Amino acid sequence: MSADPAPGLPPGADDGTLLQKPVDRREALGLLLAGVAAGAAAAGACTPLTAATPDERELKLLEWEEFTQKHYRRMTEEERAETVARLERLAKLRYNEDATIATTDAQPGVLFGYAFNISKCKGYRRCVEACINENNLDRHQDTQYIRIFEMENGVVNLEEADATYQHEVPMEGHFYLGAQCFQCANPPCVPVCPVGATWQEPDGIVVIDYNWCVGCRACMAACPYWARRFNWSAPEVPPEEVNPNQHYLGNRHRKKGCVEKCTFCIHRTRQGRLPACAEACPTGARVFGNLLDPDSEIRWVLANKTVFRLKEELATEPRFWYFAD
Amino acid sequence: MSPARWGLAVPGIAAVCLASGCQEGRQVGWDQPPPGTAEVQVDSATAARNATLEPGVLTTVQTLPVVRWKGPGGRPFEVGRRSAAPEAGYTRLFGTITLPIALRSRAASLNQYPCTSCHQGQKIVMENKRIGDAHQNIKPVHPDQTGAICSTCHSPDDVEVLTLKSGEHARLDESYRLCAQCHFSQADAWAGGAHGKRLDGWEGRRVVMACADCHDPHKPAVPTLIPFRAPQLERTRGHAP
Amino acid sequence: MHLRAFLMSALRSVTSGDRRYHLWMGSLTAIMLVGGYAYLVQANHGLIVTGMNDHVSWGLYISNMAFLVGLAAAAVILVLPAYVLHDVDFSRAVLIAEGVAVSALVMCLCFVMANSPGYPWKWWRLTPVIGLLNWPDSMLAWDVIMLNGYLVLNLAIPFYILYSHFIGHEPSKKKYVPLIYISVVWAVSIHLVTAFLFAGLPARPFWNSALLGPRFLASAFTAGPAFMILLLGFIRSHSKYSIPDMAIQKLATATTVAAQVNLVMLLSELIFEFYSPTHHSVSARYLFFGLGEHVALVPWIRAGILLNVGATVILMIHPLRRNPRVLMPACAMLFFGIWVEKGVGLVIPGFVPSPLGEIVEYTPTWVELWVTAGIWALGLFVLTVLVRVALPIELGEVRSPYLEQPPEARAARPRATRPRYEEARPVRRR
Repeated sequence: MSADPAPGLPPGADDGTLLQKPVDRREALGLLLAGVAAGAAAAGACTPLTAATPDERELKLLEWEEFTQKHYRRMTEEERAETVARLERLAKLRYNEDATIATTDAQPGVLFGYAFNISKCKGYRRCVEACINENNLDRHQDTQYIRIFEMENGVVNLEEADATYQHEVPMEGHFYLGAQCFQCANPPCVPVCPVGATWQEPDGIVVIDYNWCVGCRACMAACPYWARRFNWSAPEVPPEEVNPNQHYLGNRHRKKGCVEKCTFCIHRTRQGRLPACAEACPTGARVFGNLLDPDSEIRWVLANKTVFRLKEELATEPRFWYFAD
Repeated sequence: MSPARWGLAVPGIAAVCLASGCQEGRQVGWDQPPPGTAEVQVDSATAARNATLEPGVLTTVQTLPVVRWKGPGGRPFEVGRRSAAPEAGYTRLFGTITLPIALRSRAASLNQYPCTSCHQGQKIVMENKRIGDAHQNIKPVHPDQTGAICSTCHSPDDVEVLTLKSGEHARLDESYRLCAQCHFSQADAWAGGAHGKRLDGWEGRRVVMACADCHDPHKPAVPTLIPFRAPQLERTRGHAP
Repeated sequence: MHLRAFLMSALRSVTSGDRRYHLWMGSLTAIMLVGGYAYLVQANHGLIVTGMNDHVSWGLYISNMAFLVGLAAAAVILVLPAYVLHDVDFSRAVLIAEGVAVSALVMCLCFVMANSPGYPWKWWRLTPVIGLLNWPDSMLAWDVIMLNGYLVLNLAIPFYILYSHFIGHEPSKKKYVPLIYISVVWAVSIHLVTAFLFAGLPARPFWNSALLGPRFLASAFTAGPAFMILLLGFIRSHSKYSIPDMAIQKLATATTVAAQVNLVMLLSELIFEFYSPTHHSVSARYLFFGLGEHVALVPWIRAGILLNVGATVILMIHPLRRNPRVLMPACAMLFFGIWVEKGVGLVIPGFVPSPLGEIVEYTPTWVELWVTAGIWALGLFVLTVLVRVALPIELGEVRSPYLEQPPEARAARPRATRPRYEEARPVRRR
């Protein structure tokens, strides 16, 4: 900046001291601020800072309220009603959906159990199809809560099973075993959540408050049955295929960045109906019912059939048993 | 889980149940049709014959008591031990439990029902090789497997009833009584709820189907089908925006 | 007024320097900006733009986080001798170590936020009263408390010491020594808690072992001092700040011992998995040998092990360890070897195969690579800023203008009695 350090060389030539040249503090600050200003201007040009139409303003307000809403378990009845009304309005504004979101609580004296007959399952995957339609699963990522494994007779080894078969079923010499969330009585996914966004309801269903979930995916690492899915992008459901009969803790329209999983069709089972998979199975391989009802079919299966569960040694106590004819 | 261990758990669960306020078990909808369905119940073979199938309406029939075969130790008996005399068998050797089951009417959904529209009361030749004459859609696979002929199951005098080995007759809606003669373990599971499926919800009285609703009695094997699409096992999905 | 002067002089220290310094900071800023852009892409489209999926649900971000928690914890190697054992050699280096801890922690927190993007301020749901912190059940909740607490400790203690020196006072031992004791225990705990995050999951047999916590500590105490050696060597040769040879040598010894322990643990792991393989060994088999056609991680882990073993062997030879020309590359080898072993060699195999036996491999995308690079650049930026602020104060060059005595009188305070580095070896200017 001051005297020429290398006399003899043409001005501006590299004399080896280029990098050591001190830079004036003011210059440096000035450049820094200029960069920040440029960056801020570019960022500002990209985001709409003011909402134009009343719909957009309402959407922004509702989104803010949605962002700051409480944990579901801390809400009073009125707050829950208010929340689902807001969510229904948001679904209308965002996706043009006319949804009804219920907040039905667990019925007293009910504990859901599920039994799967591996002799009867023929691998049709009608349950998978019904689940996708019933639960408004993302078509873009092809999210499927249920996995059907084709296994060779005599080899009960999941690592050698194939869930990607695409041929006529049932194939000779094979049997079929389906897995989904087992709603464990001792769920390993519940204690790991840092914000407490997932918990077990009194009727046994392990649920997630999608608006509270921060998307850290610790529960996905903790589940021994690979039951949980993540919304890596905003879920897309064709409007004509949306199931409008929804539950806050179940099949309502989720956003990107939250975890979801099978909820035993909470919006159906709390109204006394069967989950979609059990209803769709053409061979009657799926048995669902109330474990506290001694006359239920699930209790008959547990009393009269030889049942087993997956990964029994992990003490997760799944409420999903397998049996054979 | 063995029945004994489950039996130990029942008092615990019952205690929970009572403590949470349900005193008499899930009696919800005991006599009600499943939610969202109108039900028409028909009582006799005549009424079943004349019933029309309407969309959204469940047509059920009153069931005879379903026999849950329970012998010593709660295990099912073999059929062979049953007395040949029709009236001596059930009440003496087996316990009879009436289950609240509503059976979907089968007769009402048969295409060519009522049979008497063609068979005007005269005796019919009941030989397998004559089936093709009038019922081309029936392939006698199961009769050929078991060595049965038409009259093994159908009564030559009244084609709208099924004949049982004990000499009794069963209605077309009560195919379970016929099939249970040989397929007793499947029938036991069916009565318990592990075979077949419910048509309604999970609580209260069950609405189920009899055997012939799912299994074609003449060709009962389950067909092979092309399954719904397989899942895509994700590889890296670096979607550039 | 002293505080304002401190901040102003800090700003001055950070913004003044030669062209080389500005080029360094400028490049870091450029990388941070590209990383910021990549983060925006990720926040907009969702994590589908990364290579993570339902099977491998944690990837590069959590790998780096696990590694960096170790780097942060390793500051205790210097803190413990310097403050508690009053080791004079380490006293020159300990503030820099705490600076490393701060920048590593900042990087950790950024990686956690990058892992679950969207609005960063959704993490309000973690705060105890207005949100819900699932403590003591959730290991991640523990981790959040531990990391933030350690960050506060490592900001508070150096700030107090530097500020005291800045205003010409001797920092009161009664004030900061209790915090030092807490931070020593805390340092070991943060890394154990991070290990428990993985080790406590029976769903993942690759992680679910009692050895994982000790392994984390061993590898942290290998990579941390290795990085410190590199950093201190750089500071020594590019500034007037002197660091005794013994400090570097003691650090090198610590690194070597930890590296040996790390290798023993690796051996233990290999015997455990492969002597009598079970279904639980499939993940280890995937990592070290590949499963069928799925061999993506094999070259990485083999390179990592080679680096580790090679560097450990070199460091075990005394004359080689004492030679800075061999020591520095060996430390760099250790650093990268541990990064591979603890980063991709730990997190990814835990997800392959999935708990239901399906195999899906993982390849990071450009978004992940740039966000990672941006966060590393941020960390180095923070480290440079902290070192840049601390050194002039420690050298006695910068003092509060509101002091009565001029700076030269302050510099006459007695220092360590060992010969200054510049007298032993003149500084080489390039």
